[in-house]
Amino acid sequence: MNKGSKRLLTITQNGLLFIYAIFALFPLIWMVLLSIKSDTQMYTTTFNFTPTLSNYTEVLLKTDYFKYLLDSLIVAGGAVIISVIAGVPAAYALARYDFKKKEDIAFQILSFKFAPEILVVLPLFMIYQTLGLYDSYFGLIWVYQLISMPLLIWVVRGYFEDISVEIEHAAQVDGYSWYQIFFKMLLPLIKPGLVSAALLAFIFAWNTFTFPLLLAGSKIQPITVAITKFLGTDTAHYGQLAVAATVSALPAIIFALCIQKHLVRGLSFGAVKG
Amino acid sequence: MAGLKLVHLYKRYENSGKKKSIQNNYAVNDLNLECAQGEFLALLGPSGCGKTTTLRMTAGLEDITKGDIYIGDTRVNDLAPKDRHIGLAFEDYAMYPPMTVYENIAFNLRAKKVDKNEIDRRVREIAPLMQVEDILDTMPVKLSGGQKQRVNIARAIIRRPELLLMDEPLSHLDGKARQAMRVEIKRLINEIKCTTVYVTHDQLEAMSLADRIAIINFGVLQQVGTPAEVYDNPVNEFVASFIGEPPMNIMETKIIKKDGNFFFTFEGSDLNIHVPERYYSVIEDGFKCKMGVRPMDLLIGDENSKGTPERIATFENLGDERRIGIRVGNTLMMLITENERRYKSGDIIRLEVRGEKTHLFDLETGNRIREK
Repeated sequence: MNKGSKRLLTITQNGLLFIYAIFALFPLIWMVLLSIKSDTQMYTTTFNFTPTLSNYTEVLLKTDYFKYLLDSLIVAGGAVIISVIAGVPAAYALARYDFKKKEDIAFQILSFKFAPEILVVLPLFMIYQTLGLYDSYFGLIWVYQLISMPLLIWVVRGYFEDISVEIEHAAQVDGYSWYQIFFKMLLPLIKPGLVSAALLAFIFAWNTFTFPLLLAGSKIQPITVAITKFLGTDTAHYGQLAVAATVSALPAIIFALCIQKHLVRGLSFGAVKG
Repeated sequence: MAGLKLVHLYKRYENSGKKKSIQNNYAVNDLNLECAQGEFLALLGPSGCGKTTTLRMTAGLEDITKGDIYIGDTRVNDLAPKDRHIGLAFEDYAMYPPMTVYENIAFNLRAKKVDKNEIDRRVREIAPLMQVEDILDTMPVKLSGGQKQRVNIARAIIRRPELLLMDEPLSHLDGKARQAMRVEIKRLINEIKCTTVYVTHDQLEAMSLADRIAIINFGVLQQVGTPAEVYDNPVNEFVASFIGEPPMNIMETKIIKKDGNFFFTFEGSDLNIHVPERYYSVIEDGFKCKMGVRPMDLLIGDENSKGTPERIATFENLGDERRIGIRVGNTLMMLITENERRYKSGDIIRLEVRGEKTHLFDLETGNRIREK
């Protein structure tokens, strides 16, 4: 390939990426723009408006906004913490031990992600009503597992499979107990995968809408559900809605930006067998 | 330092789908083996023959299905790996990636809560022995295969084991590094004089390193002996063909009687080899068996030779030796000569055989037929 066509290729590639970036970021930009418009200018499509922070003061100071954020944090964070505590040993078992129906179990775990949430939420709703899990932190954390656990197990399993089992044997001969080996040797090795999988799982859990909409009531309102409250029965306060959405998207965006370097490597590392 | 004794050792894998058990339900089948104090014993066999399993049972990394293992006078069946006083050098080096070479070597002593200064003294003592002084602060990922293996072995011997186990330590090294490391190991073992069990599938390693070699196939011990014994006196066809490079020529033969003498004859060939007289008591006219002869024991005769004229099929010049292939029936018989002459395929040579060096093997069992 000569220099000219190579350059053309680069320009085309970057041009396409740029178009895609605009396409992907446009909703975000529009949302931020909406959040600083007043209700009267809401429907203008020109960029000619007077920016105002009134929506922000309205939402952040005069509603229970931070309580909703905290609810989201508790539920999504709790789900991820439990996923890590239960998922890492599960991933280890799936990677190391040979037991009957191993692949079936692994597939079963993955299949939790197959069914649309709306499909399982109705039976869950009835079960939760009976068990008294409805509208409780525990109940929501429990159901958020369905989102975070499979992802975590599958990524971390790949990491464990990449660690030579001889390392464990060597440490065993060296006189370390299984727990010491696990915490001293294995955990540092799976850390990149664990961290990126956990953060991604957190983002997914944070963004869930269907489960909290139907399984949480008045006591607990994760932010995704609480946002809908700004769509009143008579008027839709799009400005306030946009503020609520913008602020609630911040943690996910910040996380994604922080880990994006590790994210791709962390998630693809296990897939490449050396 | 202690000896090792394996008594009626069995290993069976429950999962019958495993590769190891296709031929035989037992990965290790009634293995009785003794390794004297200070001896270097090589476990030799093709991959999947149970030699590594045996080693791993000795190390305590694998359950014992049946039988006993003694290290010194202690029965170690139920002891944890760390209590068996062994050092184990792994095939894949099994370095701890987040630690430097120094920490890797010291890891075992740290587990035993040995005093810090003492650890340092011992690491510094072993480092020159394994020639790893310069890389003590390096991370394992930056090391070459040979260096990793040095560290791996350093790690195994720093604990001053009663018994040193090595699991194919050279199999991942390439030609030159492998040869250099082999010499290293030989030197090291001479220096530390530790009882060593060495697993390998490479007969050359076993022959050059070991005091005695135990040859295993399909989990069954075939023969134990010094390198010279197993080379000169193989008990069966398997051992004969496994030891030596190139391997022993083994061909089906029919023995016929002519003028009161017996000769090996081969289907599809006019080659006749005189049967040594010591076999006369066990053979008869028309007796069928396999004949084995090492490539070194085939000779090229001069003009006056009475050897059978044979056509050369292949000729390889390896520098210090030359390998000649001669087609006998449908097998290629290899001959090694130090004769300087360059032949080419198609040339005719007079083939002579050191008849006294031939071995007979039973057609069915493959066992050696011995003179009475």
